[in-house]
Amino acid sequence: MARVQLEKVKKIYQGNVVAVHEFNLDIKDKEFVVFVGPSGCGKSTTLRMIAGLEDISEGTIKIDGEVVNDLPPKDRGIAMVFQNYALYPHLTVFENMAFSLRLKKNPKMSQDEIYKRVTDAAKILGITEYLTRKPKALSGGQRQRVAIGRAMVRESKIFLMDEPLSNLDAKLRNQMRAEIILLRKKINSTFVYVTHDQTEAMTLGDRIVIMKDGYIQQVGTPIEVFDMPDNMFVAGFIGAPMMNFIECDLIKDKTKYYVNPFDSKILVDSSKGTELKSKNIKTQKIILGVRPEHIELASKSSSSAFACKVKVCEMMGSELHVHGEVKGNDIIVRIPTISITPDQKEKLLTAGSTIYLTFTGKVMHFFDKETKINILTKHKNVPVNK
Amino acid sequence: MRKVEKKVDQYDVYRPHKASIKKRRLAGNIAAYTGLILISAVWLIPLVFLIFASFGVNADGTGGAGVPSTIFPEHWGVASYVVLFTDSQVPFMRWFLNTFIMALATAILSSAMTIMMSYVLSRFRFKGRRFMMNFMLVLGMFPGFLTTIVLYYVLKMLGLTQNGAIGGLILVYCASSGMGYYISKGYFDTIPKSLDEAAYVDGATKFQVFYKIMLPLAKPILIYTVLTAFMAPWGDFVFARYISFGYSDSYNVAVGLWSLLQQDKIANYFTVFCAGGVLVSLPVTILFICLQRYYVSGVTGGAVKG
Amino acid sequence: MTKKTDFELLRYSRCKRGAIKFSYWFLSIPHKLKNLLFKIGNFFKRIFLFFVNDIKDIGRTFKKGSYKTKLSYVFMGFGSFARKQIGRGILFMGFEALYIVFMTMFGSHYLARLGSLGTVAHEYVRVLVNGVWVQQIVYHDNSFKILLYSIITIIVSIAFIYTWRLNIKQNKICEEIEASGKKVKSTKDDLRSLVDNDFHKTLLALPTVGILLFTVLPIVFMILIAFTNYDMNNTPPYNLFHWIGLDNFNQLFGWSSGSKYFSAAFGEILAWTLVWAVLATFTNYFLGMAVAMLINKKGIKIKKMWRTILIITIAVPQFVSLLFVSKMFTANGIINTIFHTNIDFWNNRWIARSLVIVINIWIGIPYLMLITTGILMNIPSDLYESAKIDGASPWKQYAKITLPYMLFVTGPYLLTSFIANMNNFNVIYLLTGGGPKVTNSFNSGGTDLLITWLFKLTVDNHNYKFAAVIGIMVFLVVAVISLIVYNLLPSTRNEEEFQ
Repeated sequence: MARVQLEKVKKIYQGNVVAVHEFNLDIKDKEFVVFVGPSGCGKSTTLRMIAGLEDISEGTIKIDGEVVNDLPPKDRGIAMVFQNYALYPHLTVFENMAFSLRLKKNPKMSQDEIYKRVTDAAKILGITEYLTRKPKALSGGQRQRVAIGRAMVRESKIFLMDEPLSNLDAKLRNQMRAEIILLRKKINSTFVYVTHDQTEAMTLGDRIVIMKDGYIQQVGTPIEVFDMPDNMFVAGFIGAPMMNFIECDLIKDKTKYYVNPFDSKILVDSSKGTELKSKNIKTQKIILGVRPEHIELASKSSSSAFACKVKVCEMMGSELHVHGEVKGNDIIVRIPTISITPDQKEKLLTAGSTIYLTFTGKVMHFFDKETKINILTKHKNVPVNK
Repeated sequence: MRKVEKKVDQYDVYRPHKASIKKRRLAGNIAAYTGLILISAVWLIPLVFLIFASFGVNADGTGGAGVPSTIFPEHWGVASYVVLFTDSQVPFMRWFLNTFIMALATAILSSAMTIMMSYVLSRFRFKGRRFMMNFMLVLGMFPGFLTTIVLYYVLKMLGLTQNGAIGGLILVYCASSGMGYYISKGYFDTIPKSLDEAAYVDGATKFQVFYKIMLPLAKPILIYTVLTAFMAPWGDFVFARYISFGYSDSYNVAVGLWSLLQQDKIANYFTVFCAGGVLVSLPVTILFICLQRYYVSGVTGGAVKG
Repeated sequence: MTKKTDFELLRYSRCKRGAIKFSYWFLSIPHKLKNLLFKIGNFFKRIFLFFVNDIKDIGRTFKKGSYKTKLSYVFMGFGSFARKQIGRGILFMGFEALYIVFMTMFGSHYLARLGSLGTVAHEYVRVLVNGVWVQQIVYHDNSFKILLYSIITIIVSIAFIYTWRLNIKQNKICEEIEASGKKVKSTKDDLRSLVDNDFHKTLLALPTVGILLFTVLPIVFMILIAFTNYDMNNTPPYNLFHWIGLDNFNQLFGWSSGSKYFSAAFGEILAWTLVWAVLATFTNYFLGMAVAMLINKKGIKIKKMWRTILIITIAVPQFVSLLFVSKMFTANGIINTIFHTNIDFWNNRWIARSLVIVINIWIGIPYLMLITTGILMNIPSDLYESAKIDGASPWKQYAKITLPYMLFVTGPYLLTSFIANMNNFNVIYLLTGGGPKVTNSFNSGGTDLLITWLFKLTVDNHNYKFAAVIGIMVFLVVAVISLIVYNLLPSTRNEEEFQ
């Protein structure tokens, strides 16, 4: 059992600099939780507080019900993988992985047991042939695996990973991401993973904790944070290319709702409309959030269409990323190549040409203009974005 | 009551701890501070005693007493300092001036030669380079004093000993200073070669690269080299003693003050020695503290890249 | 027995693995020695071939060369003048002229006497001065000058031969350039290259000359002195000294009758020098590291102040602090008074030796603290964090992370520090004068190092021959230790391990 509970955890540095504001989270046993956010948002700090490498200024952290605030790292039953691998340069890969095992005193592990554990972990990670080499003779990806292996052999209940893939090149990162997913199935531990890359968060996590400036912006499964972002920051952070944000009005017309971006008139879909009605939302100025993949080409004559001038068009292969401009606002649209005619494709690829776009009424997000909080959010205490 | 969990798995145990982290850290800090205060005291004590002794005078108030038995001198006064400037047997001003001149000359000449050698060895690859470096390494394994014996006679023939000792010593200090290139070379090695290459592409000659780009970039190590070269003559005993021996007017401060401790003089001049020591240490120490960071970076940077 | 691979060895415990690896290394020694001998043989063969080829080349150049080249064999610089390289021509021809003058007027005179080092040193002559017959002393052969100038002559001659060879090579190159139709370098080109392509020659000129004259020359001279009998009784200009071959060394090792005290003293002093060097180096190293780690500890404030206090002791000139401290420990000095003891520190050889080491710690720790502080701050902190999580105690962290890292980075420094301590004149001489005096020890004392003994032999006894011998022995000891350590040190083999 390895349940981690953070209750009202705060980290305050000297000079009253608050790195982490009240952090509440309940990590279930064997769950894979990802802390994600931009640099300086407090995710690494929180991880290190769980590990015991940083003092906890306020609040408590409990592991399996026991308060561990004052326990040194070695007594918390955790294993950690560092961003810079932290491999001992003068030891071979084998000895690096065996390091923690040799430190155990009661009972002391025999060489045979150590050998078995290390070689088993090495086989899983595919680094058996490097066991006699020293870290300097390994590539980045191999060193990364050794770092993971070193944490694995301890067979701890809690695995902490601090941006383990940040130092790898893009291709390797994709590869290692898949391997971590496979690894997770083989190891029966609770994972707490820190990254700044939302792709990693989305693909690896059972639940994602999005942080900014020391505050938790939202906690939820990948689908939840993608489909129902609580505020504009989360909406813009998750999903690439970034969601488009347009200032416009939400108009209530008896039982229906409309939005009017760029002088068009788009009907809000009935399911969303019911939600709005149940919350008694009136006509107001909002910021409309629409993901690039939810914008479609429309015909010039339609009332729900608006004109857009093409600035740049990126040919991604199976789709086009069109960067356009409407009335001074930048817009990004993702258009699958398969859905357009060669004529349209030609037009899109020409800079300066005008195209007509519309949104489907189904997938739109409405954010309060001042607080930037999603009008339809079910959560309380959503942080305000400035 | 906190309950301690029994074995979670055979090897990853929550061990009950003795004292909380905070208490242990506090105890550790107290011990550390105590240790540091003790160490500082022990290190400064001899210097403090030196200062005390320098204020010792004879019972009759004149300067120049013998080796003290107690921390505080039996009789106090500044007379010992006065002796330094008045006693004709103790031409302290002369010694100070000699050392200063030598230090200045050495600082300039010696640094120049060291920098020239280390720059070339760092930047250029020419046919005899490895051989030169190994040869100098081997040369350095001979005790330096050996050369003095020969040099003394040569300098004597040129008239650069005894009363010409200052010139002779400057020559001895500076001539072979090319051999001390290690630290400066280590520093030059850390300046990326791409800077040189960019300059060559722009049309500079190697000479221009040297004085327009490299020297300004090497300011920290230049200051370190000049500083150590300047400070060397103040502390040199062996060479100065050998080359200027017997001719009191040519002594540097080290030999001069040492001569005050000889059998015939020590009973009457020990406190004068202390006074002289204090007067010599002051400017050197102040200079050192001001330029401390250059010295530190030179020692830590170059000394260990080896 | 087939050697197990590294991988197969992983099954054994570390002790067993280490033992097995050691036995492999040990068994490979004969093979390594054979390789070494081969390398040495190859080295000499290469030198020999080089000279042979060189001579062949000289012959070839002569045969193929034009009249310009041929004449340059006798008149250096002729070829340069003929090709309008005025600058080079002047240099070559001038050097040849100077050399001829030098040899006829100076060099040959001394070189001729090198074998005998002089036959008649002085002579009393009756001279008429103001109408009175007076006995005056006239000096003839001066062994010192003979040896010194002979060495200089030999060096100059080698330089001349090299320059002559250079002259030939220049001619050959110029011939080739002309044959291919290009222009040879003019004097202006030469001057320009001195600030560009040949800038290193310009910069190196002065330092190299300085080192040659003031270090190489004296050392060669002193090495030769070790084979003479230059001492108090054989001092020029009044006396001569002569070659006596290996006699001094025989005395040193006790193989000849001579003074048996000399070899006994040498053995004793050599032993103490080595012990002192080891103790001085390693006590300073570990204690300095401890102090650096103490100051660097997380909870300590105003680190700079603590460091500055220690740095002050570096700034104060050693002769001041050492001489004063030396007097603090006299029979009725400050220390004895404070502690109400009556220990005669400097007159008991073993107490003196221990005290010298302790005082040396006082001198040396600030340096080591500086050096280790810089390195300590460079150790990546996540190594420590990872170890903390793995459960390593502070001591384990020191042993497995700090110490290996420090030893790796400061390995070469430890070696130079060891050698510097072996030759640490100031600390010993200023504290104890090399004393306390030991009877029948050839003017050596209880705390004397080889270097201070050398000094005393020179200054007090004018026994230059033994001083030279000891100097050579110091060199040999240092050279052997350096070679061994360099080949064992990991740092010299695995340079990027810690990057």
